[in-house]
Amino acid sequence: MTDRRFFVILFVAVGLLSLLPLGLGVYHLHVMIVSLFYVMMASSWNLLAGYTGQVSFAHAAFAGIGAYTSGILAAKFGLNPWIGVFIGTILAALIGLGMGILCLRMGGIYLSLTTLGFSEILRIVITNEYEITRGTMGLQVPGLVADYSKPAYFYIMLGGAMLTLIVLYKLIYSDIGLNFRAVQNDERAAASLGVDVVRMRVLAFTVSSALAGMAGGLYGHYLLLITPEIPSLDQQFLVLSMTVIGGMGSFLGPIIGAISLEIFSEYIRAYGEYHVLVFGLVALVVARFAPNGLMGLAEHRLRGRRKASRTVSAAAG
Amino acid sequence: MKRKKSGLWLFAVVLSLVLAVGSAWAQETIKVGVVGPRTGSAAATGKAFEEGIKLGTDYVNAKGGVLGKKLEIVFEDTAGAPDKAASGFERLVTRDKVVMVLGESVSSSALAEIEVADRFKVPFIVVEAWADPITAKGYKYVFRAGPCNSGVVSETIAKWVVAEKFKRAFIVAETSDWGLGIAELSKSALTKAGVQFEAMTTERESKDHYTELNKIKAFDPDVVLAYIYGSGLHYFVAQAGEVKLTPKAIILDGAGPPSLWPDFWKNVGDYGNLECFVSSMHEKVELTKLATEYREAYQKAFGTPPTDYKSRSIFDSILIAADAINRAGSTDADKLVDALEKTSLLVTRGTVKFGTEKGGTEYHQWMPPMLVIQWQNKEQVVLYPPEAATGKLMR
Repeated sequence: MTDRRFFVILFVAVGLLSLLPLGLGVYHLHVMIVSLFYVMMASSWNLLAGYTGQVSFAHAAFAGIGAYTSGILAAKFGLNPWIGVFIGTILAALIGLGMGILCLRMGGIYLSLTTLGFSEILRIVITNEYEITRGTMGLQVPGLVADYSKPAYFYIMLGGAMLTLIVLYKLIYSDIGLNFRAVQNDERAAASLGVDVVRMRVLAFTVSSALAGMAGGLYGHYLLLITPEIPSLDQQFLVLSMTVIGGMGSFLGPIIGAISLEIFSEYIRAYGEYHVLVFGLVALVVARFAPNGLMGLAEHRLRGRRKASRTVSAAAG
Repeated sequence: MKRKKSGLWLFAVVLSLVLAVGSAWAQETIKVGVVGPRTGSAAATGKAFEEGIKLGTDYVNAKGGVLGKKLEIVFEDTAGAPDKAASGFERLVTRDKVVMVLGESVSSSALAEIEVADRFKVPFIVVEAWADPITAKGYKYVFRAGPCNSGVVSETIAKWVVAEKFKRAFIVAETSDWGLGIAELSKSALTKAGVQFEAMTTERESKDHYTELNKIKAFDPDVVLAYIYGSGLHYFVAQAGEVKLTPKAIILDGAGPPSLWPDFWKNVGDYGNLECFVSSMHEKVELTKLATEYREAYQKAFGTPPTDYKSRSIFDSILIAADAINRAGSTDADKLVDALEKTSLLVTRGTVKFGTEKGGTEYHQWMPPMLVIQWQNKEQVVLYPPEAATGKLMR
């Protein structure tokens, strides 16, 4: 995809989405705001899992670091939430960098296990240090805008999602992105050609952590309440499902996965506890019949149609 | 092909008829939301709420409903988690367009919900979330028709501890708004009463209390004030029996319902005997005729007598809401607040009147009378207050 084409598509999509507050009610706008949070989360996780082949389970934890940093600074020290979100993003990036340097040499299952452990440790610390974090009671934080307004939050989250996608696009479709894919396909071959494998992995991990931190910070100030649910493994698996169902390793897949699954989960919420079961079943069906996700399915269909139309025109000729 | 097309037409016509009838029917009801945990460690409260909702809506609709329409309740599960509670509350207001919201039994959830009620200007009657700040924050649209921590401690728990002449007490509180709040109030009350005490906190979801119990045993208390809600209390009672803290020390379940849930005896076995708990319901202490009617209606509907008093609390709140809507003659939020402030209604637990003076927990608060009950050979014996007592403390 060329830069020009990407930016035309992005700005047309953002322009159309900007009209939504004119037609949507408060409830549907809320669903869209949450969807945009998941677009940021799933797309940035896709940079790791889809483009460099690193399955991290700490992505929601980094969102939690962003949310709690910003929330505590705003609620306890009266810091402007925007500055808090910025500091939260930087802190998530620094912790991501530190963790990357420490454990990205391991790769594979070891990276997954380390990030899983990190996620759980963070949850326990947040829950037990209730005098600072308020643990499971939830930390009430001020909003990003003086007067609470759904359209204002919609535009803020839309801006956040747009920034995330631009950063990801610039990274993926650059020389660095080429190195990412080389590392994913065959790290030994990449290393033999002079690609610094660990450095590439650490870079992807740091950028992805920073983007998750920013998403968490914005989301926390939208909810006005931060709980250990944000950095939970439930949240992590939801992001993972969205990416896999949408199409891991494709730019558009996580966006489609995030929006469609968030809307879908709102519809099946009425089934109470069974809604998790329905969610799991959908993931299973997609994994069985469309292993490359919805994007893979769409590409397959499109390719099939093109082939058919070529056959028809060849026969007509 | 033609048959297929006409089939599609038929389907479309039937579907639009169903939708039309559905929306027409929907207009014949007035929707009130209920929030409460239907999943998670306090899911039994959700079940109690569902039972109370059924009896409450049947009662109101049999008496003509609200503003000439049927009352419809929409129940939103909060799973006992503040984030889910806040989003569930918002969903009731924005998606289901309810005119009022009732319920909640978890203080941390209620504290998240009152912010949404205040933001959307929707009247909210808290039923069984006890933390003082819920009403002390002074929000115009927030009421509480149920116990508050300060009321339960000053009127019931502290007085009972003194009446039983306990000399040493141990306070164990979960790290929640309810647990930490009621523990602080208990400390002040015990200090004032000259009762020696020690205190500690515990994790709400904890299944292993042995470390805490050994420390408590070393203190050798006469009474343990256990402020743990949910199935965590069952683990605490059973393990207290295992380490032989009980029956020498008496445990008071400071919330009540967990000692009444159907799986209580299965989980605690004989260690449940002589355990005490706080409650607002006992069949021999029925303050109003409606309380007896409620018990009979419950028995008829569910085949057993009511146990968890929270089913009756939500029943009362439905009556309070219906009465306010009818007196307001409108579903306008401000008119409903006016009507609620002027409430004087006899429910199962007495006559409801909300405090109107701002600046403390009493604002928009109605505190029902509470009892201390002891399990004696699986029979509930009321110990406190003395005028309602059906027996004496057994040790």
